[in-house]
Amino acid sequence: MSASERKGASAAETESVPQRAWLAAGAAWLVPGLGHLLLGRRARALLFAILVFGSLAIGIWLHGPLLFFEGGIIGTLVTLASMGVGLPYFALRLTDYQGEALAIGFEYGKAFIATAGLMNLLLVLDAWDIACGRKE
Amino acid sequence: MPSHFLLMVLYALVVGVFFTALWRRQPRDQVRLFLQLFLGLVIGALVVAWLMLPFPPGPPTSAP
Repeated sequence: MSASERKGASAAETESVPQRAWLAAGAAWLVPGLGHLLLGRRARALLFAILVFGSLAIGIWLHGPLLFFEGGIIGTLVTLASMGVGLPYFALRLTDYQGEALAIGFEYGKAFIATAGLMNLLLVLDAWDIACGRKE
Repeated sequence: MPSHFLLMVLYALVVGVFFTALWRRQPRDQVRLFLQLFLGLVIGALVVAWLMLPFPPGPPTSAP
């Protein structure tokens, strides 16, 4: 292999890593666990999916809200955190689910939903690092 | 609905398992980190609740 071919192959490798990373990170955000599944981490993908979906399900069970930029700065931050769940957040927004402000578990539910989103955002970063080879 | 304490324990369990799986690979390290996170969250919350005990809860709110 000539020097120019080696240089071309090296450039192709460095270019292919970000593409894979973008795909893994995007998939990880859209569906919790999918990013790790695409990267071949089946067991971790299943565990993370159970944890994120489980946390979201507990939040819904407790009648927590699915905020959409309401309630000032805190509400905006909670909205961004909740959006971290990806497609399930937007799918739930399409239904008539809004949570119940008078329910006893309302605030607990909000915490579980926001935590599910924040956990998934960390999974996006984890999938990115794995795809870039920075992590096993 | 489960008690507030049970929900707090459940929350600590979910967060503890998540960060353990995310940050540690060796089983021994995983057990150690999980116990640190889980017990830290539960005991920390109990300590904060105990410290808040002398403070008045505020005026009662009327049901709508």
